[in-house]
Amino acid sequence: MSIHHHTRDSSIIEFSKSDSDEKARSVIESLSLILDPLPPSLTSSENPAFSLLHDPQLAKTISWHLRQPDSGAGDNNLCRWLYDTFQSSDPNLQIVVLRFLPIIAGIYLSRAVLRKPLAGFEAILLALYAHETTFRGGQPITVNVPDLSHSSLYHETRAAVKNNSTNLNLAILSPSLEPHGTVRSTKRARIVGVALELYYSRISLMPISSKIEFCEFCVIWAGLNGDMFKEDENHDEKEIKEEEEEEEGGSSSKVLSEGTSEDVGEEGSGGTSTSVENVVLNNSSSVEENCEKKEGRIPLPWELLQPALRVLGHCLMGPMESKELKEAARAACRSLYARALHDVNSQAILATGSLLKIGNMPKNSTPEPDPTEISDFNNPIITL
Amino acid sequence: MLKMLKSQSRESSELENDMEVREVHVNGLSMKTSEVEAKLDEGNIQEAESSLREGLSLNFEEARALLGRLEYQRGNLEGALRVFDGIDLQAAIHRLQPSLSEKPPSSSRRRSSRGGESVHAVSQHAASLVLEAIYLKAKSLQKLGRVAEAAQECKSVLDAVERIFNNGIPDVLVDNKLQETVSKAVELLPELWKQAGCYQEAMAAYRRALLSQWNLDNECCARVQKGFALYLLYSGVEAGAPSLAVQIDGSYVPRNNLEEAILLLMILLRKFYLGKTKWDPSVMEHFAFAISLCGQTSVLARQLEEVLPGVLHRCDRWNTLALSYSAAGQNKAALNLLRKSLHKHEKPNDLPALLLAAKICSEDSLLASEGVEYARRAITNAQGMDEHLKGVGLRMLGLCLGKQAKISSSDLERSYLLSEALKSLDEAIVYERDNPDLIFELGIQYAEQRNSNAALRCAKQFIDATGGSILKGWRLLALVLSAQQRYSEAEVVTEAAIDETAKWEQEPLIRMKAKLKISQSLPMEAGETYRFLLALVQAQRKSFGPLRNISQIEDDKVSEFEVWQGLANLYSSLSHWRDAEICLEKARALKQYSATTLHTEGKI
Repeated sequence: MSIHHHTRDSSIIEFSKSDSDEKARSVIESLSLILDPLPPSLTSSENPAFSLLHDPQLAKTISWHLRQPDSGAGDNNLCRWLYDTFQSSDPNLQIVVLRFLPIIAGIYLSRAVLRKPLAGFEAILLALYAHETTFRGGQPITVNVPDLSHSSLYHETRAAVKNNSTNLNLAILSPSLEPHGTVRSTKRARIVGVALELYYSRISLMPISSKIEFCEFCVIWAGLNGDMFKEDENHDEKEIKEEEEEEEGGSSSKVLSEGTSEDVGEEGSGGTSTSVENVVLNNSSSVEENCEKKEGRIPLPWELLQPALRVLGHCLMGPMESKELKEAARAACRSLYARALHDVNSQAILATGSLLKIGNMPKNSTPEPDPTEISDFNNPIITL
Repeated sequence: MLKMLKSQSRESSELENDMEVREVHVNGLSMKTSEVEAKLDEGNIQEAESSLREGLSLNFEEARALLGRLEYQRGNLEGALRVFDGIDLQAAIHRLQPSLSEKPPSSSRRRSSRGGESVHAVSQHAASLVLEAIYLKAKSLQKLGRVAEAAQECKSVLDAVERIFNNGIPDVLVDNKLQETVSKAVELLPELWKQAGCYQEAMAAYRRALLSQWNLDNECCARVQKGFALYLLYSGVEAGAPSLAVQIDGSYVPRNNLEEAILLLMILLRKFYLGKTKWDPSVMEHFAFAISLCGQTSVLARQLEEVLPGVLHRCDRWNTLALSYSAAGQNKAALNLLRKSLHKHEKPNDLPALLLAAKICSEDSLLASEGVEYARRAITNAQGMDEHLKGVGLRMLGLCLGKQAKISSSDLERSYLLSEALKSLDEAIVYERDNPDLIFELGIQYAEQRNSNAALRCAKQFIDATGGSILKGWRLLALVLSAQQRYSEAEVVTEAAIDETAKWEQEPLIRMKAKLKISQSLPMEAGETYRFLLALVQAQRKSFGPLRNISQIEDDKVSEFEVWQGLANLYSSLSHWRDAEICLEKARALKQYSATTLHTEGKI
């Protein structure tokens, strides 16, 4: 795993700049035939691959198109563009496609039960899956869970203790990969899960908006809002406002959105929280509104949940400072925890529960006082 | 020689105002900072410097370092940088090097001779001064938001320490101030790289902090270890394997981020058990997250067993332990723990624990009546904020009742339990309408009550709701159809299911297909299907090494034995005795004493 990811990173750097630029420009050109007009910032960009990944206007436009009711069809031009762009084998352009994976996977899985044409989405997902399969040579990713009775490089005693008992716990993080030419329904979760593994391997390069979209889809996938697990102390203004709205709007509030009444199916679409629905719907047309609401809860087998939780862990605890992202990640944790409880799934309860607790812990992990400050900082008497 | 004065030894009454008046104490001399600061405010660094040198008998570098610190401490960061820029720190480091490298090579723990000590102390002091100046420069840059430059400066502190003291310093001789600066620089550097977005550098800085000998105290070391573990776990950047230099033969070397993070978190937990560091609850949560990602929750259970009493609430610990055991497939151990935590003197109404206990009981008919109790308690307690779990409670109740019916002693009781089971599953649907699992369970329940039409409806509904993504749905549908003797339809369903499955997961479906062929009196086709299945099973055995995909297919695995057995039955029904015997022989080779094999043999 480690070695692989190294080559991933270096390949991005290695790629010759001018060659890459040229490819990126032709990709932009073909995109301009589909989405008209393209934001001017993109067409005149000095660094086209970077702009493709980071231009917020472009992301919005593509997201809007992907959320259209017929967006996943086999003859959809945008899907074809995404597919072709990924097949360009330029790592800088492949990231652009991966940037939209949360939306593609999110919409795809929620629609898979609705018997809508999805060949376009499937082609993209299969391309991602095939890429990862080739990259790993089909091999599984394993983790050797350490045992402290074996000496390790972080043990304080440096002497090598010969411990021949090999009772290390070998865990399979991701099983071996079979090639798939089509999406068989029982393999759907696995294919999307592997695509998420690929997404995770590049996640440090992803724009924050993509990660936020991912978190929002987690809530929709869970089909439950986790508001009951909100920490009281964490309520900041925004949340309080939301709650007020909720109380004003939905008269029967929590009980209703949790699924007691019969109109859960139509109204709550698995009880997605107001905030999430707003965010999702803000990005979509009014036509989409009805459609989006019906799409929702999906089966969450471990092969899908596990890679999703790895991505979520990054969103929650990763090095980037974005309040919006952390809030979205916390909401996703709450929903997935609620879902795990409803499924009475021990492994999922453990994983999501610990994430939820981590997210609710005081945000600033640096202990007070700052240990890197000099010790006599506030001392009126200065010595050398 | 400079003399350190402890601030506490100073009478505060001498100061007119604690916060306003600051003083510098050096060499037994003292001076008000305001005099110097006034000169600094005029922008006259040189005058400030010379007044310090005269007033406190300092040399140039000492005076500059002191000035820099004055500026830093009163928050004039730009000023501090100007002062520090005036010292050629690299030259100072260079000057310090040779005087020390003359020292004969010694290990870091070695006590040096008495004679060398004073020379040492002087140079150490000079070094300490210079290094602190660089460190403060880094801190100033950090506070000004110039993190990348700050990281460079901070790194140069560590580089300098390694160059100046390349043979290490005997523990007893380490200047406190020097150690403090070094520890802080070690801890600050990875943080700075992270803030600067230089992920690989941050990884390298963490490794350097933990794999070189910096003589960090326990708390500081634990903070760095935790910082690194979290970075490995959440940054999304692969650290790559540690350099070969630090790998000791025969010791455990992590190969990827997750392994390294888990190792560090385990070490942190161990340090706590040994009383070396303060308990940090977040470490356990991060560990739980990492380990459950790997599906190795039995390791988590082992760690939880080690937690000292009094650290976690015992019920919380029992419940988390129960989750770990249950996720590791050890339901019996899990249930025993849950019984403790659900005892009436503990937390008898804890909903997640009640639901898990009920779930475990629902899988064993001997425990089902106990599970009914848990489920009922869960339903009663699903109120207020927890109301959303009411449907889950009802579902568990239904499952437990259905299971309990299986061992009931009278028909009356059985039919009563079954109808209760259905009732509560039906009620659960009101709460959990979009939960396909519930529909599936309802289907099973109907099937067991021989209500095959209702079961059929449920099976179809389940396949629709899951988009056919879950194999058991297809199997239920085919089974219910064959129970209604609609064999050809069942076969169509089985074929459809085979289309939707990957090669290695098709065995149970193909076996079902073979049986359906037999039921339709199509022995030749059945034989063909069996032969195909046999090839598949044998190919699978050969192609997969020890790393099989355990979680998904283990429970409905078709063994080679079962295929031979099925073929033997088929041939014997066709009176192909010779073929049947060959098949039986093969079956016996795989499983020596099997009742089914002996039975078929007897028939032949």
